[in-house]
Amino acid sequence: MKASLFAGMGYSERHKFPFTWPVPPAYADPDISVRSYKEGMDECELAEAVGFDWLSFSEHHYSGRITTGTPAVIAAAVAERCKKIKIAVLGHLLPLNNPVRVAEELALLDNLTDGRLVAGFLRGTPNEDQVYSVNPAEGRGRLLESMDLILKALTEPQPFSWEGRYYQYRTVSVWPRTVQQPVPPVIVGTRSDDTIRYAAENRLGLGVSFLPVDEVAVITNKYRHWCEEAGWTPGPDDIVYRGSIYVAETDELASKWFEGLMRSKPGPNIPLRRTVAEAIQSARTGGPFDLRGLVAGSPEGDVVGNALGINFLGGPDTVVKQMKEFHDRCGVGVIDMPFQQNNVDHKAVLEELALFGKHVIPQLREV
Amino acid sequence: MEFRQGNVEADGFIVRYWEAGQGRPVIMLDQAGWRDTPLHEALAEKYRIFALELPGTGDSAANMVSKSIKDLASVAAGAAASLASDRYTLIGTSYGAHIALWQTLTFPEQVEALILISPTAIKPLGSFETTTQKFHDSMFAHIETSKRFVPMPADVFVKESRLMGRLKIGIHDFEVESQLADIHCPTLAIFGKDDRLVSSEAARIYREKIPNCNIAIAYDAGHCIVGDRPEALINSVIDYAEHWETFIVGHKSGIINP
Repeated sequence: MKASLFAGMGYSERHKFPFTWPVPPAYADPDISVRSYKEGMDECELAEAVGFDWLSFSEHHYSGRITTGTPAVIAAAVAERCKKIKIAVLGHLLPLNNPVRVAEELALLDNLTDGRLVAGFLRGTPNEDQVYSVNPAEGRGRLLESMDLILKALTEPQPFSWEGRYYQYRTVSVWPRTVQQPVPPVIVGTRSDDTIRYAAENRLGLGVSFLPVDEVAVITNKYRHWCEEAGWTPGPDDIVYRGSIYVAETDELASKWFEGLMRSKPGPNIPLRRTVAEAIQSARTGGPFDLRGLVAGSPEGDVVGNALGINFLGGPDTVVKQMKEFHDRCGVGVIDMPFQQNNVDHKAVLEELALFGKHVIPQLREV
Repeated sequence: MEFRQGNVEADGFIVRYWEAGQGRPVIMLDQAGWRDTPLHEALAEKYRIFALELPGTGDSAANMVSKSIKDLASVAAGAAASLASDRYTLIGTSYGAHIALWQTLTFPEQVEALILISPTAIKPLGSFETTTQKFHDSMFAHIETSKRFVPMPADVFVKESRLMGRLKIGIHDFEVESQLADIHCPTLAIFGKDDRLVSSEAARIYREKIPNCNIAIAYDAGHCIVGDRPEALINSVIDYAEHWETFIVGHKSGIINP
């Protein structure tokens, strides 16, 4: 198995934020954010030094917890410091972006890294539809069309026009061509059947995030079945699982940390006002939504969001066992991990990375 | 828009045609069964269009006279010259585009601009089906779309298949490929991204070899783009017919709240 550091480049004082989304820019102090990016890059350098295989960057917006709204920019900066490791953009949120621009960024990154790029296609979490005012009901269609257009733009040697449903470009002629031919490895991050099938039929990889192993197995089984139907077998690098981690010297120390985390009553990861969350969800699913039927606020507060969870927790041997289960039951070959938990500071992240490199990576190599 | 039916003589054949609209002339060579589409309607709003039924296609009698695709192109050019008062925009669909290529090469003085929709002349995939229903289904990106349209009658399918086989339509035309550089009028070649009858690699050959050629890809469309994505096809064809190669220049306003 391979290990990937999900480099969120979090603002170092993120534990001081309120649990809201978006996080108001008023919380950002330029001195601290400059320092935070340097710390994030130091973490990347250490990850490469201790044996991680990939560094991943993901497009997320309007929050200091993951501060890589333009992932290609941070990927290019890190790639200059980390010269050998794979640079994985996992990924661009396609419904939000100009697909031709994404293709250009990927092509440029693959050149800057001399063929070390892994690309990722994502739809994005519900809150992110709001970032560039995308209609949530159109996200799925935009994602599917974007993937087709980006792959075409990266592989077509002649200028062409694109007459799409959501995108129309009369001149597409992407420069430079990618180093990796015909295209760099692509991971489609999804849980949805139509997108899983798309990945399988187009011989692309699959990424699944933060779900428990049973649910991941259902998804990857579908994927592998549809790959077989399409006449190919995915390799170990084609199935990526992203899960949050806290690894300590021993299981007891990890449990103690987790208990402390729970005592601090952390809020949801992506907090949204209930009315907004329900409006997005009904737009995405095509269901009815009537604001007048809702009572503002609730006894639990007026925000909802994903519960905070840690997917890998324990000492090195326990964490390896947990990861091996994803390998054995789901075919996962790459584990992509954010180490920057809310209550883990930069120094502690560096210690964790060193511990992971010393005791976990050698065992993962054997899986 | 009402289409008027008429007949015109060309190369010894009586060629049936349908005419509508006013303006610059447009000659259309369509694949069988697709002579009454939203594209025809949209073009007739702006142009004087003539949709030709070439000998051996549609409801016309079996054509045992024409010896080559060039012969059919000559018939089309003869009919077009009689009908159009001026140089015309020539639009060919599927094998109609193959004929249109030869018509343009042989009678360049007639053709002002050329639009090829799903042309079969270069890199056809050789998977033309053996029954009218299978052939019909293979033309669309999605089976659900194919069900919205009626396959051509079996007798017409058999008649056209024999003609196509005899004239080597549906086989890579190396001769026409070798002469693409001689097409000097503005040319647009449009392909459905999911065309199962023609390789997507064909598009770049037209682009590389025809001096003034744009290629367009219709997303989520098969061979029958007008069935799968009529709006996308109409949009690009009308824009190209109006602006030729400058159709790439954006002209739609981006202002939201002036």
